[in-house]
Amino acid sequence: MTPELNPRSSDLPSRTQDTPAVPPPQQHWVCTPPIDIFETPEGLVLRADLPGVTAETLDVQVQDNKLTLLGRVVEQAPAGATLIHQEYHVGDFVRSFILSDDVDHDRITAKISNGVLDLLLPRIPKTEPRKIQVRAD
Amino acid sequence: MPVFRWGSAFDAFRDLEREMDHLLHSVNMAFEGLRIGRPFPAVNIYELEGEYLLTAELPGTRVEDLDLSVANGKLTIRGRRTSTPEINEQQFRRSERAQGQWERSFTLPERVQEDGLHAELNNGVLKLHLPKAPSTVPRQIPVSDGHTAPLTIETRGERS
Repeated sequence: MTPELNPRSSDLPSRTQDTPAVPPPQQHWVCTPPIDIFETPEGLVLRADLPGVTAETLDVQVQDNKLTLLGRVVEQAPAGATLIHQEYHVGDFVRSFILSDDVDHDRITAKISNGVLDLLLPRIPKTEPRKIQVRAD
Repeated sequence: MPVFRWGSAFDAFRDLEREMDHLLHSVNMAFEGLRIGRPFPAVNIYELEGEYLLTAELPGTRVEDLDLSVANGKLTIRGRRTSTPEINEQQFRRSERAQGQWERSFTLPERVQEDGLHAELNNGVLKLHLPKAPSTVPRQIPVSDGHTAPLTIETRGERS
């Protein structure tokens, strides 16, 4: 519906009554969560700020060497609220990383509490050097 | 300086941000990058029928780490991010998350019932409800010449 192209623009008020205004599609925001990465004796810990994300709404995927975090967030304000001051956008959190081969993909564990995710990335245990016996003929 | 380190510092986590950025731009989505150098916590304020709603992102903050106070029409939010003292700087490969103590103050909008304030903290999201005062009564403000009577504020209409 383009009012500018409507030849009878004076009819607009009645027209809007006939056809209820379609709300503009909600813009979908995607945010990059800040992270810390630190080393522990067991491997690496990736800690990410994911406010509003719970264990149910968080997806952690490892495919090949790519680790992807996807945290879904629900709108924080009830319907009908008017935004009067804005410093952040409410949106889903997405971030991807390439894991090194030293990470044991099968033993990655994740824990989320108070909107902070802790991903434990254990390293593959080093194999002990094996001594090979040499026999003389 | 260590000659060998397990998984060289940053290579272990080669970031795909730029790639993701490209991907997301091709879809109809708006993208917000890392919030670095902005006030912590970021705050949104909404107006509703009967109240104002202040939301803040406080990941990692527990109820006992948070302090809200109201005085003289000023709301102060104070808190502490639990740092990781057991991890020394040497162990960090990347550090983007805000840490330490923070404090933010807001001047409350007029007509807020200060004793009706209540807040909830869930999954790192703070919601602070600021109920509006029922109705404001027009106030008559007498003006004196500064020599005779002191300035007084008198309310007209009914106010319980």
